[in-house]
Amino acid sequence: MIAVALDESADAVRPWTDGITLPVLLDREHVLTELYAITNVPAVVWIDEADRIVRPNSVAFSNDMFKEFTGVDAGPHLDALRAWVRDGTLSMSADEARAAVPDLSDDDVRARLHFRVAVEARRRGDDTVAGRHFARAGELAPMDFTIRRAAMPLIGEDPFGQDFMALYQEWEAAGSPFNGLPAMTDD
Amino acid sequence: MASVTIIGDDTTNTTTVTAEIADGRVLVERDALPQALGYALKPEGLCRDDTCVPVRDPSTLFVGERLDIAAVASALGRPSVVDPDAGIVAIALDHERRRDALQSLIAPDFTLPDLDGTPHSLSQWRGQKRLLHAFSSW
Repeated sequence: MIAVALDESADAVRPWTDGITLPVLLDREHVLTELYAITNVPAVVWIDEADRIVRPNSVAFSNDMFKEFTGVDAGPHLDALRAWVRDGTLSMSADEARAAVPDLSDDDVRARLHFRVAVEARRRGDDTVAGRHFARAGELAPMDFTIRRAAMPLIGEDPFGQDFMALYQEWEAAGSPFNGLPAMTDD
Repeated sequence: MASVTIIGDDTTNTTTVTAEIADGRVLVERDALPQALGYALKPEGLCRDDTCVPVRDPSTLFVGERLDIAAVASALGRPSVVDPDAGIVAIALDHERRRDALQSLIAPDFTLPDLDGTPHSLSQWRGQKRLLHAFSSW
């Protein structure tokens, strides 16, 4: 497994990965959200030995810590993952995989650009400029958690608090959009 | 003249260049383009390593003697956001990297640092099954 943190600093990530020996990479500029069209985390992608994406962007958790909140049982995906690793059993056809992830819109891309500018401004201590660009990014991609929720700790909001709950409700009301496959179930 | 930061991605480092700011545009000297964007403007077009992107009318990239960063990015098919007052520019990835991948289902390679700063590429584990797991502290 290659874990990639969409975070601004190694310090933010370390508490979560202490003791883990697998590769943990830092994606400060959120390159992967652009390259793989990811709009929320966690997102998992199964890539085979020959670089083929055999299961594209999916919601999947490694344990049931958040099961009550998300309604997602980690079991079915873990079972399917084991079957793939062990026997090469695929979870879907190439056609299904191809249809699963829409391309980013121009607004999605621009949102990512504004987010990067905001992060850079914040690094320099210019919170006013940062705030402006975080806000513009949020306008362009309001249902994208890698934009809206990721900005929260950077603008003094709590990504686990009230501001997040309001975003979550907005997102649920919009049909819980995720650029990829929904969580696997036993069905 | 001002110091402008051009935010990098997984193949280009973030770089700071001296630029002229005029009418909301970030303008760099032609010789500074490789440092700024990783491309050089040649007769064949905008070139990086062995590839050149042809430019139909290079004069559209210039304001006076200088190159407009946003116009160059646009000629590369890469949207950009320019904040001339803050002196920060962000340029999108080549969208072909993403679109080709979504169509062909070949995982696009990328290079990112680990928590100690050592760069790693997806391709270094080619030959193994990989589970790419994007997560965050938020």
